Amino acid sequence: MTIEINNQPYDLPDDARISLLDFMRERLELFGSKKGCNQGACGACTVLVDGERILSCLALAAQYDGRSVTTIEGVANGDELHPLQALFVENEGMQCGYCTPGQIMSGIALKSELERGAPSNVSADLTVAPRMSRDEIKERLSGNLCRCGAHNGIIDAVAAYVGGEEQ
Amino acid sequence: MTNIKPNSSSHKSDPNRRQVLAGSAAVAAIGAFGLPVGAQTTAAPAASGAFASLGVPHIRRDGAEKARGGAKFAAEYSYPGMVYGALVYSTIARGTITSLETAEAEAAPGVVLVMTHENAPRLERPEPFYSSPTGMAGSSTPVMQDAEVLWNGQPVAVVLASTQEEADHAATLINVAYEEAEAVTSFDVAAESAQTSFYAGRDLLIEEGDAETALADAEVSIDLSFNTPAHNHNQIEPHAVTVLWQDGILRMHDCSQGVDLSAITIAKVFGISPAEVHLSAEYVGGGFGGKTVWQYHILAAAASQLADRPVRMSLTREGVFRICGARAPTRQRVALGSDREGRLTSLIHTGTTMKIENNSMTEPFFEQSEHMYRADNMHLEIRAGTMDMLANTFMRAPGAATGTFTLEVALDELAERLAIDPIELRVRNEPEVNPTTGRAHSQRALVDAYREGARRFGWIPRSGQRQGYREGEWQVGTGMAAAYYPYKRFPGGAARITLNGEGGALIETAAADMGMGTTTATAAVASERLGIPYDAIEVRHGDNTLPGALIAAASQQTAAIGASLTAAHEVLLAELASLVPATSPLHGLPAAELGTAEGALYSLADPQQQIPLVDLVALSESGTVSAEAQGGPISEWTQDWSMHSTGAVFTEVRVNSVTGEIRVPRITAIYDCGKILNSKLAESQFRGGIIMALGMTLMEGASFDERNGRVMNPSFGSYYMPTHLDVPHIDVGWTDIPDPQAPTGARGIGEIGMSGPAAAIANAIYDATGKRARDLPIRLDALM
Amino acid sequence: MTYHRPTCLDDAVALLQCAPVEVIAGGTDWYPARGDRPVTSDILDITRVDGLRGIRAAPDGWWIGAATTWTDILRAPLPPDFDALKAAACEVGSIQIQNAGTVAGNLCNASPAADGVPPLLVLEAEVELASATGQRRLPLAAFLTGVRQTALQPGEMMAGLWIRKPAPGRAAFVKLGARRYLVISIAMVAVWLRLDGSLIAEIRIAVGACSPTSVRLTALEAALTGCRVADCATRFHADHFVPLAPITDMRADAPYRADAVQALIARAITEAAL
Repeated sequence: MTIEINNQPYDLPDDARISLLDFMRERLELFGSKKGCNQGACGACTVLVDGERILSCLALAAQYDGRSVTTIEGVANGDELHPLQALFVENEGMQCGYCTPGQIMSGIALKSELERGAPSNVSADLTVAPRMSRDEIKERLSGNLCRCGAHNGIIDAVAAYVGGEEQ
Repeated sequence: MTNIKPNSSSHKSDPNRRQVLAGSAAVAAIGAFGLPVGAQTTAAPAASGAFASLGVPHIRRDGAEKARGGAKFAAEYSYPGMVYGALVYSTIARGTITSLETAEAEAAPGVVLVMTHENAPRLERPEPFYSSPTGMAGSSTPVMQDAEVLWNGQPVAVVLASTQEEADHAATLINVAYEEAEAVTSFDVAAESAQTSFYAGRDLLIEEGDAETALADAEVSIDLSFNTPAHNHNQIEPHAVTVLWQDGILRMHDCSQGVDLSAITIAKVFGISPAEVHLSAEYVGGGFGGKTVWQYHILAAAASQLADRPVRMSLTREGVFRICGARAPTRQRVALGSDREGRLTSLIHTGTTMKIENNSMTEPFFEQSEHMYRADNMHLEIRAGTMDMLANTFMRAPGAATGTFTLEVALDELAERLAIDPIELRVRNEPEVNPTTGRAHSQRALVDAYREGARRFGWIPRSGQRQGYREGEWQVGTGMAAAYYPYKRFPGGAARITLNGEGGALIETAAADMGMGTTTATAAVASERLGIPYDAIEVRHGDNTLPGALIAAASQQTAAIGASLTAAHEVLLAELASLVPATSPLHGLPAAELGTAEGALYSLADPQQQIPLVDLVALSESGTVSAEAQGGPISEWTQDWSMHSTGAVFTEVRVNSVTGEIRVPRITAIYDCGKILNSKLAESQFRGGIIMALGMTLMEGASFDERNGRVMNPSFGSYYMPTHLDVPHIDVGWTDIPDPQAPTGARGIGEIGMSGPAAAIANAIYDATGKRARDLPIRLDALM
Repeated sequence: MTYHRPTCLDDAVALLQCAPVEVIAGGTDWYPARGDRPVTSDILDITRVDGLRGIRAAPDGWWIGAATTWTDILRAPLPPDFDALKAAACEVGSIQIQNAGTVAGNLCNASPAADGVPPLLVLEAEVELASATGQRRLPLAAFLTGVRQTALQPGEMMAGLWIRKPAPGRAAFVKLGARRYLVISIAMVAVWLRLDGSLIAEIRIAVGACSPTSVRLTALEAALTGCRVADCATRFHADHFVPLAPITDMRADAPYRADAVQALIARAITEAAL
């Protein structure tokens, strides 16, 4: 049983109760993914599995045997921040920083979802590719709570990253 | 939150007083910060280029580290042999533990210790806020010292195990039996015996004239009642601590808003010296008043001592709701009487809130009514009942958050009755001096904020008629309200400045940064003060071994740091003066005649006479020059001036006429908070308060089961907060007029955003629908 | 505790014989459902069982495997009859949850506020239950027996859902909550209808979060059949809503829920008829 995290293979734990989030934080000391509510309601633990975002607090680590996980620690290119990370800093898309890794992972996933043309709840028509708008971005980031109130900066950062935004 | 007793001997203002002070040395000293008043009186070289720091929108210093996921929070420090803690919570509101079955848990895999009141070390009761100048605990309730249960959710056992899974599992195996006692868990019951309360060193009772008679005699009057529920901070980082006892030191990685006071409070519980506690919190995942000392700190340290193992104690989300306090519920009355022109003849703001036996935190919801409007007669009074519940505590804008909601809704209703525009009504009652203390305002430009806000929002003046209109199913309306929060500066602030040989400086202060941008603002203030480029300033914070006893609370930390830097700078000038070589024209000048700017020490009398700081540092024995000092006396707000921040908030609201759904598509807010030190960070602070207020208005509330005293929605799945989709783009601005009495010209911005939006939204809802909402949150069904 | 991950259905149902086993697919409800209870049973992960993930079109209808995620639903090319189900797919938790959570899991949890149920009730979905002794099909309404209760017998698991091909119609789903995202419904409504010009030829209406399990309002459906879309709301009568038993809780009171349901039904009919 192995799992790949940020291109590194790891043996999965013997204790099947362990969530993917706890496995990364407590066994691998990968603390970038945050534990906010540990019940799927805040998004702070968002990671990508084979490119799709999931909540690692709700995932049993064992479920992801053989899969490839990307966390916030895996998106920068060495010292060079990922473009969305840099946009979060420039646009003041954070205050305390605790929800930030989850927001950024969601933002990265969001861009590829949009590029694939997946509709959302605010899309006018569920059967055609969505038009980019601020509401579309907000909808797709709404699974990531922020309590400090950096919402405007976060949306600014993601809108700039996604591009093609209509105000 | 230290014990400050404001000077009660208020004096009516001397009209000349402000003029006299404006030319004083105290104001001139501020000139070095580039403030208009002082700048005219000093001959310092103008700050420019790399030296201009205040007002520059520097990006936050910790931004990249946070974006990388590299910022380390309290639960992210590891030690060899560390074990994990889990808590068991009581399920009754009051009573006695009659038996604790722990054998099965003790035998469970990985378990190292089960601690209950039967084997916990003997501990002193924690010192709560206001019980001493350093009290930082939510209550003085003993921590696992006896069988008594005082609230539903009180920890009754701690399990330590090798992994979190093992600790959590073992905690489920503990059986607790209780003998229940009669508990007070009903607001109505507790309200019957509520007493006029006490807060921050004074009684919560102000009476001027005869407000009831004036109300009865008023040409126009309204008399309204309101309810607000308990609110939780819900920082996204749950409270956590990593603890170890090592070489006689209790080491704690915490998420504290005030590291020094937390360390002192915890030291006293364990009967050790504060020097034997090393508590740090470099990154704190949100505070809002709730990251103080709660039982988990003490339980983690006690269990760690008992087991002789390092311990990580991360509260579950439910655990945070069970043991870390929240804003108390309130029931308020606001009655206003006025003449036909809208001049207030009577202002009554009274009501009841709840606290516990073992704290003295009464939600001070009348404070804005004390300072915002002139009224011929006033009666302000808060009664507090005592309930068997988790300790209530400070939460963003204590008092003003709910107090401005009620007062500002009442003003809107009065304006309508008078057929006067709501802004005009407020302007007519704008006080020339503080209405209750008579002190002069240090700076106040609220009327400018109203005017600017109205312009930017596109406010349509009204005279008794609603301006709302309909768009299909949606009813659209607009509303406004004033915002209020006091200036404060607590004693205990200190800082150390160390100049290095490369032209840079290290600033050290035990301040906290929960995300406000403290280190960024501190670097800018230090850069301006020292005349050293912003990028050459390093800031260390969040560690009780650093100077000062600062606390990020009451929007006062930046002022406290500013005063500390001013004081340390004065000491630094003396140190530098002592290094000036005999050959220099500066030789022999006293510190008071010297300044620093553009990387040099210079003569105030003749700014052309300079010595580069690096040259002076090179002359020192250690290769550095260091100075440490405490901030000066805090009399500017406790004795001398009326110092309060204000603002004007405008909202547009859409209410669905079929379902009652409420949307807030537009908010404009203009603040009068003194000088804004960093526009980027300030904008975010203001918006943060506004968004939390949006949540308070439309969706937030802890549901308290009055049958058993248990919070029924202890999760993010059931306690709703705004999501991205609920939050509009928020337009914020400020007057940016420096307060000549505040250490950096800034009065503090962290909390005022929380006051005002609730009333502005409720007033806009009325404009849209003709329905007045007087209870929070305003539910969909309230408008149907 | 053992983690089982069979790759064929026979192995999966064989494991169900060795009690106690908890079946998971997306697993998104496994931790929240723990509460304070210790873990005592093994886990049976069905996500790698051959043939259980995905949507297959058959001549007479569609098969939705038990490991099919909400995102799979959203991305599948399905006719407009499924628009209510797709709209619900966007409302189940966050996108992160939709990527892992499954339709079948939503049904097996049997929450009164499960978003997936009303859209599947109007599609007259049937659930297929598998055990070591074979398979059986049940209408969804019969599968959901109460709050957090289903007709699943010991040794049984849901293998998937069948949706018979209806005469081509259209559907809509509307949900009401106290905030705009991540909400547990105050009330929700799914409507499927087939038009004949401006008249309603056939209509199915299901309401969630207003009774222990979501219900079809068959009396209302009968009353609206043959009615002009624009006149629907005028045909509502108190008798049509008898199957509902809305409660008062911290989000809204019962009379509001009762009123809101009617408004939501009118809205959903309008939306479906567009």
